[in-house]
Amino acid sequence: MDNGSAPTFESLVERHSMEIYSYLWRMLRHTADAEDCLQETFLRAFRAYPRLRVDSNPRAWLYKIATNTAKTSLARRSRREASTGDLQEWGAEQHDDSAEVGERSQLLATLMSLVQALPHKQRAALLLRKYQGLRYAEVAEIIHSTEEAARANVYQALKRLRAEWRRQEERYAPG
Amino acid sequence: MHRDEMQETDLAGWLGDTGERLMPDPMLAALDDLYAIGPDPIATRRAQEKLRETLREAGHEVVYYDCLGDTPVGPLYVAVTERGLLAVQMEAEEQGFLARLRRRTRADLVRSRARTAPVFRQLEGYFAGQRRAFRLEADLEALSGFQRRVLETAQQVRYGQITTYGEIAKRIGRPRAARAVGQALARNPLPIVIPCHRVLAADGSLTGYSGAQGLQTKAFLLRMEGAIMY
Repeated sequence: MDNGSAPTFESLVERHSMEIYSYLWRMLRHTADAEDCLQETFLRAFRAYPRLRVDSNPRAWLYKIATNTAKTSLARRSRREASTGDLQEWGAEQHDDSAEVGERSQLLATLMSLVQALPHKQRAALLLRKYQGLRYAEVAEIIHSTEEAARANVYQALKRLRAEWRRQEERYAPG
Repeated sequence: MHRDEMQETDLAGWLGDTGERLMPDPMLAALDDLYAIGPDPIATRRAQEKLRETLREAGHEVVYYDCLGDTPVGPLYVAVTERGLLAVQMEAEEQGFLARLRRRTRADLVRSRARTAPVFRQLEGYFAGQRRAFRLEADLEALSGFQRRVLETAQQVRYGQITTYGEIAKRIGRPRAARAVGQALARNPLPIVIPCHRVLAADGSLTGYSGAQGLQTKAFLLRMEGAIMY
């Protein structure tokens, strides 16, 4: 089977569909949207696969398609929310009455909306590096930048989140 | 240390960019709470199953194959699709098997013991003398209507029995097509499972068998089934 040619499309589905789904879920934090984007990512990949160069990195290529697909999906969602006031899934998933947990989930919900408000590249770079475990060289290929810029995007995202987080803390601090 | 610098070291440790031990940071801990675990495994499986369906509809096909190395007739390769058994081949080399398979299908070829296991279990049972009939769906979709009819009729010849090309021709309503029946059986994609070895020439002689050792194999299978004594 291994005759030095590109991997079969099937082996890409087998090897990467799970991690691409987890990435899309992290990007979108919405089960149904992530499922739709998974279909779309691999459909696009399937159609483009015959033109994929043998020497390219198919994993980064799939992540790149997924990143673009997620961007379109997020834009669609923000239009949808603007028109219907759709509740975020995260809010609906929380069912704990205790005050302490309630406060914690408030905080988490706030942080998630801060992550959602990051520039697309920064959010993608952060999630790819930290939670998908990719190297900066791969992140760079996916967000179409240099390795330094990929790293800078991750750090900028974290610094921005931290600054916003402090602002929130100050707002809720007693006194 | 400068405050910004400290921040940077701290973040680098959390990102795994350095081996630095990090100070507990509530914002980073909260990020981990949100993102470290990942999606629900059930939702993941559902999304993957739906993906399979979507890709099938878009024309993506997979053929799974594997080899049963040690049988009385030598190494035996089989290939299956979603529809059923696509190929059985007595063949020494994987490359030879794949080359023939590629002439029949444009699907991705994936070696998989799990997907072919039910076929191998039945074949092992057959060679052990414990199984007399195969319960397997056959994927004959790519064949001509005539060839499919011939093979389906040959499939009805029971273990230990024999028939002739002419008889099959009669049964499919083409009594003069014995020669064409012979050719269709010679190209049987599922030898052993579709028992073309049980079909002989009108005079009872063992003619034409596509397997590796040809006639020897045909005679072996018929002897094993008790259909012939020599």
